[in-house]
Amino acid sequence: MPSATVNNHRPSELLSRLASSEPEVKLRALREVKNQIIGNRTKKLSFLKLGAVPAVAGILADSADDVIDCNNNDCNVNNNINSILVQSAAALGSFACGFDAGVQAVLDAGAFPNLLRLLSNSNEKVVDAGARALRMIYQSKLAPKYDFLQQKNMEFLISLLNSENENVSGLGASIITNSCETSLEQKALFDAGILRRLNSLLECGSLSQKDASLESLASIFKNNSEVVSKFAGPEIERPLGSIIDLLKDRYPRTRLLACMCLIVIRSTSPNLLQDIGIKSKLIHILIELLDDPGQVGDEAPFAFSSLIAQKEDLQKLALEANAIDKLHHHLQKGSLHPRRYEGILLALADMCSKLESCRSKFLSLQVLNLVTDALTVDSADVRTAACICLKSVTRSIKNLSAGYFINEMVVVPLVQLFLDPSTSVQVAALGAISNVVVDFTTHKCIFVQCGGMKQLVQLATSMESAVRSNALWALKNFVFLADNRLKESVFSELTASLLSSLICDPEPSVQEQALALVRNLVDGCINSVEFMFAEDGLILGAIGRQLQSTVKAEIGIQGMYALCNVASGNEFHKEAVMHQLFPQMVDKNQSFMINFLQSNDSQLRTATVWTIVNLTCRSSPGAFGRLVKLRNAGIVSQIKNMVNDPCVDVKLRVRTVLGQSMAFGDN
Amino acid sequence: MPVRVAENSAPSQVSGTNSGNTSPPACTLLSVGQAFSGTQNVSSLQKEEAWRVNVRIQGCDLEHGYLCGTMEALNVPMADTPVVTFWEGEIVDTKNYTFYTGKWEASSEDDKRHWTKFPSFSPLLNQVEVDGGKSLDLSNYPYIFMRWFYQWLLLRS
Repeated sequence: MPSATVNNHRPSELLSRLASSEPEVKLRALREVKNQIIGNRTKKLSFLKLGAVPAVAGILADSADDVIDCNNNDCNVNNNINSILVQSAAALGSFACGFDAGVQAVLDAGAFPNLLRLLSNSNEKVVDAGARALRMIYQSKLAPKYDFLQQKNMEFLISLLNSENENVSGLGASIITNSCETSLEQKALFDAGILRRLNSLLECGSLSQKDASLESLASIFKNNSEVVSKFAGPEIERPLGSIIDLLKDRYPRTRLLACMCLIVIRSTSPNLLQDIGIKSKLIHILIELLDDPGQVGDEAPFAFSSLIAQKEDLQKLALEANAIDKLHHHLQKGSLHPRRYEGILLALADMCSKLESCRSKFLSLQVLNLVTDALTVDSADVRTAACICLKSVTRSIKNLSAGYFINEMVVVPLVQLFLDPSTSVQVAALGAISNVVVDFTTHKCIFVQCGGMKQLVQLATSMESAVRSNALWALKNFVFLADNRLKESVFSELTASLLSSLICDPEPSVQEQALALVRNLVDGCINSVEFMFAEDGLILGAIGRQLQSTVKAEIGIQGMYALCNVASGNEFHKEAVMHQLFPQMVDKNQSFMINFLQSNDSQLRTATVWTIVNLTCRSSPGAFGRLVKLRNAGIVSQIKNMVNDPCVDVKLRVRTVLGQSMAFGDN
Repeated sequence: MPVRVAENSAPSQVSGTNSGNTSPPACTLLSVGQAFSGTQNVSSLQKEEAWRVNVRIQGCDLEHGYLCGTMEALNVPMADTPVVTFWEGEIVDTKNYTFYTGKWEASSEDDKRHWTKFPSFSPLLNQVEVDGGKSLDLSNYPYIFMRWFYQWLLLRS
């Protein structure tokens, strides 16, 4: 006869039955709780709020104690106790499954040690229930960190892995996957012979054991080339054979995990798995796994990205395997799970990050529309991924040159994302816009018209340094080769005082972008140099101060080029630069110019020599006077020491300077 | 009296496998935004003609031996305004590209005939005849050799 009404199963009602002293009632209530919460996040939350977890944990604790007290004589009592243990463990496991708040509640209720005790119970079902529950906990980052370096713990782990019980050995593997982080831990696991056991599980284990082993192996190998080389050493007959075989496994999840394990090995030890056969196989399997409708298909694009990121050879192979077409095909499907959507966009971003051939393919398939659509979806991760994808594609200079990207379809949604509540979306949108505004046509005004330029100036005052530096980067690109009218509108929006304070920003990355922005502002027609002198030369002074104090080559480079551009102006401009380079110093400290010329960074040496070229060019009347100053500051003799500079660019500019100085009859 | 700084301008050669970088070095003159002016000689047997041109580098990817930019031709007959075109170029870096074009029916003889017009090419000719210059070390050579190809006309709005 069916249970009377819903009333009997209301959470609060169930909780009171959990507290019953009658084992049968308690058992039925435990089962009911477990059945209600399985796969139901909302139910888990409501039971959690009512304090169900401590109640169940309490039952587990009491029953575990009863096992110890009991004499094993009364079978009935034992059966009841075992059933209660199994159901309470199962309920706790369900609370923890895929639900961090549940994991935390289980840990807070002190259930963890009691669950561990279940593993040494004589009843197989109890052991199994305990192992399953612990596995759920170990799937979460909140699980207690396992200390592998303690001998006792290592022995326990080995006993788990050696167990015939799938869930118990699986627990051992989950613990490794969850807690193994440092190279010390990885080595300890290797030394304890764990890898051999995991490898045998790959070959002879059940599906769940294979999957668990693949994940643990990956965490032991990660970034540890020593362990990898021992596992896959030349003396081993078929190194990595057991993992490679699993690429052909009939279960998609196993194939995915095998790919991910091999990818970790490849990135840890770049000399392994380099033949084109294995590379092609990995690409094909991952592309094919995109078709999986479930979680495997959601995760496959992320694995694909980790395989091809920064690797042109793999991107090329993937292009030939029609990866872009396949990714496009999935993008067209629509109604994508946010994780899958994000993964596909990031995979496209990686494909187009370096090779023009990939970008051409992308654009020819008209994927751009689908990507701009993703800029307005609910998920912040998807919006970020769409921006990153656009940043990759807009690296195509020839399409930028043809004005392909600077249109409303691309610019307007990106500018809207400047005000996104998520910082990572803002930064990613700024990255994409930075490329789009490098426009060589006359269409930069579109960006001004949609309010983008003003927004960038606003963002340059953000509290987040990443937002400030990326906004400046976009402005820097925006004024690159721009006409004077555009530069003036940017400058009047920015103001000299804001720009000089950004040059002195606490964050070096912001300083660098601010200096580069100034460099681009004063480049071009001679009138642009006047920006430097606005408000009593605020910007010029800020640059001089920054160059005095900086220790970072990147900042020196941008600052020197900014001054170099000013020094290409008239007498007044050149003298103003000299004043910054050689301020009236009380102490006789070496000028930063000498430090720059002696820098290990060839770009810094080049920038500095170029500035001297401009200061001493013979066509200007004051050149000789400046040359004398430079000689007195030891600069000329430093330059003479650089005639055989290892960098050809420096060497040739040095010759120009010496040629100019010789013309004055210098000896 | 100006002193000539002596230099060894003959490029060195590398034997065997390429263990180091033999590509032309990075150069501030060949970077995005740099502009040059000169002439393009388009004389034929029928007439003498040369255009004044301004070139702007828009893209420079040394890793792939690629560059691109625009060229503005100022005195093209029958054109009311300067004619602006977009071009892409190959940098002879012995890694991505050699002195031999290897396409568009350009023979190695054609290539040598063209390159020999530059005095800076003569020290390299011998090695180029052997293997197209694949084993040359250009990392210290003070000249960068390129081939530029017209792509399309740019219409100014």
